[in-house]
Amino acid sequence: MSSRQPPVMPAAARRLSTCVCLLFACSLSRLSSVAVDAADNVRQIVEEAQRRTDATSQRYEGLLQVLDSKGKLADKRWTLERLGAHGDSKMVLRFTAPAEVKGVALLVVNHPDRASDQWMWTPAIERDRRIALQDRSTRFFGTDFSFEDLEERDVDQYDYALAGEEVVDGVMCWRIQSTPKQTKSSQYTRALVWVRKDTYAFTRIENYIKTQAVRRLTYSDFQNVQGIWTARRLEMADLRRGSRTALTLEKLQYNLPMKTEDFTLQALRRP
Amino acid sequence: MTGRSVWLRLATFISCVLISCLGSSRPSVAQTVAQRGFVEARGAFFPQDTSNDSQNTVVDLLAREEAFVLPTSWIQFAAAIDARANSHGHVESSWHLDFRDRGRLRPALSVRRLSSTLTHGPMTLDLGKQFIRWGKTDIVTPTDRFAPRDFIDVFAGEFLAVTAVRLTLQARDETFEAVWVPFFTPSRMPLFNQRWTAVPPSETALALIDGQAPFPERAQAGVRWAHAGNGYEYALSYFDGFNHLPDIVVRPRADALELEIERSYPALRMLGGDAALPTRWFTAKGEAAYFATSTPGADEYVLYVLQLERQTGEWLIGGGYAGEVVTRRGTSVNFAPDRGLTRSVTGHASYAIDPSRSVAFECAIRQSGAGVYAKGEYSWTTGQHWRTTLFAVLLGGRAEDFLGQYQRNSHLGLSLRYSF
Repeated sequence: MSSRQPPVMPAAARRLSTCVCLLFACSLSRLSSVAVDAADNVRQIVEEAQRRTDATSQRYEGLLQVLDSKGKLADKRWTLERLGAHGDSKMVLRFTAPAEVKGVALLVVNHPDRASDQWMWTPAIERDRRIALQDRSTRFFGTDFSFEDLEERDVDQYDYALAGEEVVDGVMCWRIQSTPKQTKSSQYTRALVWVRKDTYAFTRIENYIKTQAVRRLTYSDFQNVQGIWTARRLEMADLRRGSRTALTLEKLQYNLPMKTEDFTLQALRRP
Repeated sequence: MTGRSVWLRLATFISCVLISCLGSSRPSVAQTVAQRGFVEARGAFFPQDTSNDSQNTVVDLLAREEAFVLPTSWIQFAAAIDARANSHGHVESSWHLDFRDRGRLRPALSVRRLSSTLTHGPMTLDLGKQFIRWGKTDIVTPTDRFAPRDFIDVFAGEFLAVTAVRLTLQARDETFEAVWVPFFTPSRMPLFNQRWTAVPPSETALALIDGQAPFPERAQAGVRWAHAGNGYEYALSYFDGFNHLPDIVVRPRADALELEIERSYPALRMLGGDAALPTRWFTAKGEAAYFATSTPGADEYVLYVLQLERQTGEWLIGGGYAGEVVTRRGTSVNFAPDRGLTRSVTGHASYAIDPSRSVAFECAIRQSGAGVYAKGEYSWTTGQHWRTTLFAVLLGGRAEDFLGQYQRNSHLGLSLRYSF
């Protein structure tokens, strides 16, 4: 009867093997540390971008121009008031035109650790309706923004990886891949975000479902408003439908005095 | 001083303050004044005559203007006025300004809303004629007790405002609401000599005469506690007042050629609840209420609705079941569209074709198959102000069923609205 014995490694070979293993482990650890550093650096970029747009409040009047795939244009107007910033904020958006949708309003309560809560008020039936999480991928009132796109992004809700650098509109930008954390509950699988190197302002966000780019948000007409570099024009393109909506920010102001009680369901009823 | 004169004085006071605020507002404070309104023409064509109505075309005209004034951050005034006309006698001929919405006909000129809202921290106080909507489900909403409707056209009923004091307190995710209604606003019933009052062919020789309608004197009240959790909501509500839908007593007159229809509004206590729970695929909504009464002869019953809803792409789709359990059967006959739509499968769907065009559909089918109601509409906007809507209402079933009794009232219609 024969038994198979494991081959015996000579002592020198064993030492060499240990050395290779150590080197490999060492390089793995270095690689991993570089990866962590890189992730940290990318996160720092987004943190800095977020820090530079911090404001206690914001108010603007928005002109929405919806252009469908056949080139038909529909104008809408809304006013938006926001108290707080990013993941810790509340927002009320009210339509002011066209006349038949005057008074329709949306309350968004953003959370740092999870998806926002949203309610829509319809004055014609004098009722509010909560927008359920699974309904957030729906277009918001015939625009190319979905309900989810109206949420404020918070740095803590995503994981980041640097995907390269690229010149956009003549300005060098970081191209960053952001992947929503599990608690975020997003319709999008991931997004590519372009951040300007000169001002840390977002200049483009491309949202993906699996591998398909579905919506692209482009920022332009940057102006420094009360120390905050702000895009005065945003254009959301629905890449599947071939339609787009341009939002122009008018009468934009930051850091206005606002009260918490103006961001409740009761306040939503008031025009 | 009577209760009525006190409230009339209060209404006059609010009107004066509102008018003075509107009058003194300048363009420089334009952000504190808002308005919206529309003018609408609506025509309906009924291909079939009924035993008591051979008018096949009915045209409505409605002009509405609503104004909102916020003189300071803690108070707001709201006012709205309606002016109406109708080709089939639905509207009073007198042009007095109506405030109480108690007439059998729609007023030609009426105060639709007149209220002030005071806010202080988490507290909101609404005073005056206002709309109060409770509940979450559609088509049938059992807990919506402060929402009388105009049922002159049973399936196109608009809500009527109630004169009330409403206090709302909100603390984090909890909302507590208390409502006190000093005078009663009834739902407006169909006119007795027209097609929305179904009369058996054997009795068309008898004229139906509007008898007395003693309105309840006592005030009504209700409380509601609502909790908005992380992704779900629920509420409990209690109401003590009167049914805004009447019980009916039919009395033959001495000459035997006329029947007098007397309406009465039974006392009603309601204990109810509603909830909405989003799941991965749809939102589940439920609402149930138990109705008890101290009025002899009136029914006691439970109404409940279970409904699923999903918004996907350009579609909003919902469907469910509305049920009724009668716990004590009374002897009264009643006009009750809310109960008439129960024991039914209900559904609704809408689709936005593009930013300016949409289609919508809703239906209720009685589980017994004795009645069906379905409404479809196609609507489109032109420019920034005009909306045109084509609609079709299908009604069918057996004469003894609430829906089926309107089997000859299927109709087509067109409405044209200019909003400003």
